[in-house]
Amino acid sequence: VAKAAPSTALLLLALVLARTATAQQAPPRQLTALTLEQLGEIEVSSVSKQAEDLWRTPVAISVLTQDDIRRSGSTSLPEILRMAPGVEVARIDSDHWSIGIRGFGDQFSKSLLVLIDGRNIYTPLFAGTYWPAYDTLIPDIERIEVIRGPGGTIWGGNTVSGVINIITRHSSQTRGTLVAVGTGSLDRATAALRHGGGNGRGFDYRVYAKAFNRGPGFHADGARFDKWWMTQGGFRTDVALGGRGVLTLTGDVSDGRHGQRVAITTLAPPGRGPVDGNLEAVGGNLVVNWERPTSADGSIRVQAYYDGTDWRAPHFQERRDTVDIDYTQSRTAMTRHHLLWGGGVRWSPGRYTPTVATLDFVPRNFTDRLASVFIQDQVAIVPERLLLTVGSKFERNNYTGLELQPSARLLWNVGTQTLWSAVSRAVRTPSRIERALTLFTPVVVPTVQIPVFIQLTGNGAVEAESVISYEAGFRRAAGARTSIDVTAFYTSHEDLVSFGRGPTVIETSPLRAVIVAPYLNGLFGTSHGFEVTPQVQLTSSWRIWASYSYRHFDLEATPLNAEMNAVSRYEGSSPRHQVRAQAQLSRHPLEVDLAYRAIGELPARTIGGYQTSDARIGWRLNEQFDLSLAAQNLLQRHHAEFAHDPGPPVEIPRSLFLGLTWTRSPQP
Amino acid sequence: MSRRLWAVVLVALTLHATGVAAQRPTASEYEVKAAYLLNFIRFVHWPGRASSGPIELCVLGADPFGRTLDSSLADQPQGETVVIIKRLSSVEQARACHVLFVSASEEGRLPRIMAALGSADVLTVSDMSGFAGRGGMIQFVADRGRIRFEVNLPAAERAGLMMSSELLRVARNVRTGR
Repeated sequence: VAKAAPSTALLLLALVLARTATAQQAPPRQLTALTLEQLGEIEVSSVSKQAEDLWRTPVAISVLTQDDIRRSGSTSLPEILRMAPGVEVARIDSDHWSIGIRGFGDQFSKSLLVLIDGRNIYTPLFAGTYWPAYDTLIPDIERIEVIRGPGGTIWGGNTVSGVINIITRHSSQTRGTLVAVGTGSLDRATAALRHGGGNGRGFDYRVYAKAFNRGPGFHADGARFDKWWMTQGGFRTDVALGGRGVLTLTGDVSDGRHGQRVAITTLAPPGRGPVDGNLEAVGGNLVVNWERPTSADGSIRVQAYYDGTDWRAPHFQERRDTVDIDYTQSRTAMTRHHLLWGGGVRWSPGRYTPTVATLDFVPRNFTDRLASVFIQDQVAIVPERLLLTVGSKFERNNYTGLELQPSARLLWNVGTQTLWSAVSRAVRTPSRIERALTLFTPVVVPTVQIPVFIQLTGNGAVEAESVISYEAGFRRAAGARTSIDVTAFYTSHEDLVSFGRGPTVIETSPLRAVIVAPYLNGLFGTSHGFEVTPQVQLTSSWRIWASYSYRHFDLEATPLNAEMNAVSRYEGSSPRHQVRAQAQLSRHPLEVDLAYRAIGELPARTIGGYQTSDARIGWRLNEQFDLSLAAQNLLQRHHAEFAHDPGPPVEIPRSLFLGLTWTRSPQP
Repeated sequence: MSRRLWAVVLVALTLHATGVAAQRPTASEYEVKAAYLLNFIRFVHWPGRASSGPIELCVLGADPFGRTLDSSLADQPQGETVVIIKRLSSVEQARACHVLFVSASEEGRLPRIMAALGSADVLTVSDMSGFAGRGGMIQFVADRGRIRFEVNLPAAERAGLMMSSELLRVARNVRTGR
């Protein structure tokens, strides 16, 4: 399978590129000769205005629109992200994913930042995103922007390999009522309800509620631990305050149970065994955003949010309350300079409660504090043509002190072509785990007669991981219908975290040996790669796009590193090659979507390469009802995408999902 | 279904697309919106302005059309009406326009723009969210892969514009004030 994948994928890619050449010769259109009614029936490409603006951005960025998201047939945020070029999504089991950008795939996506309407869902507990705890009403997503590469200058720490920015629709876009229900072989039952309205004078709102019940993945041994339930509700309101800006309030509450199998160590008798149970996650948040224009192209924005999570798993419990306030202002200065600056503070107390004797944090309660300022200047060296953007974030955290994250980006626009290059620094601050964990794991040492444990131990001396990344990109649009986007990167990594070797302690009652393994900054090296995304809008009703991404790691261990497979773990946990091709066909009242992907092997996780395919058929029954049938992972009964600890990999089965949506727009 | 068969299906679909390309008209989002803008001129009457002069079609803010608007104008069937396209950077120049497309880049400045226009007889059109609810006259809305529009009739009436019943009939939603 692994051997066949690249050739098939290259064939598809070649076909897509070949079509690009054909489509340029399409005949001119006579849209202006159509009546208003006929115009209203023309299907248009879903390339949004934002996407066109982003085209002229010196950043490796891709945008998933609501149309793309709906047509993917995906029902969860991680599955939707599979569509974004260069994002490495591997489903670990039914309710857990490893998501990486340009490498660093692991369950907690530790080097990438995820925002939902400006709310940062990165947890300092393990430095990353615990994906199953976060959701939103999928039809209310306006777009998802995925930035590959460092974004520390604007977004701050932990934006080392990318940013995923989930933006929901303005509440004036969701007036009326939506009821969506669905059932399938993996998503057993889903239901969602949304209602929105407004007074026509700048006040709009919506409220929603959703719930789902998902079944387990495929287990060769018949296990069924990874079942998943969730209920969530929330609201958004947008208020235009006349000349005093726009106020947006959003909030959600959620309650989920994520089934999982975890390995728990016992000291007496010494052992480590699987325990099945649920992680019960309760969450709530409130985001207040106020934005006001101050001049022709300047504005002030203030955002404050509260985010609370309460997680209770078989092996740990944590309660966290985060309060964050950010201020951003922009203005033009001396005609050619556009300045953007701001600052923010975050206060995030976490309370850890141990549930087993072999996993604890020292100290258990700790408050993460963060304060930052940033400034960025965009200089129009040649207006509209040549733009230089320089800036830096100055961020102080209570783990590693002051961190600088500067960047310089150059953009050159020539007609429908854009060339850009960038050099930037970003840091990932240590997690609570790396600073404060204490976790016992038994090891078998044949010559030693007493029980031996390795104690993974947080280390107050762990410094932030840092990168300096050099990037270059090229985009070219040929006519209104075809485009290609190419990005290459070379990144130097410093201070990657691994385990060192501490003292061995002989404890006497009971008698056992404990080998202390402290976290430390034990690795460094480089990575490089590229991403290619050709896209073609063949006709108003046919769109095809593809992406190929390649990345290579070259890491080395310092003498302090004692983790034997640390280098191979970093290098082999994300695929080196990844191909995706996708076709969207619309012919009223039907829409058909096909997606194919080939993913390279993960040597560190002993997972082979695989290729599979998804398909969806949508049928608009009338103005109010939409029916859809989505089939995922069609090419085999089940396949593994990532390792599971403990036990064998949980495989992802072929699945079917039938959905029915009823929408009613308000009548005048 | 076997892997090989599936690949054949995908390839067949890809190839099939070429045949379709030759038969069907192609449209990007802003080609359709440009065609709408030129079309609206036929269904709106400006009683306060000379009926013989050229129609000024203005774009305020970051122009999302690129060359689309100009090429749509060139494609337009020949008629008596002369249309001039202007791109504006500030609202002060907008009162002379017949049609003003307000770019979504101006969303934050909309109250200022609306105040500057006052009750001038300018047909305001935009695709920014909430436009028709905030004093704009015609708002484009994306409706499952199609572009439709909503009309704020009281706003047009306040500005002394007359909209034909044909325009109101096709509009997805007409706000009538009360």
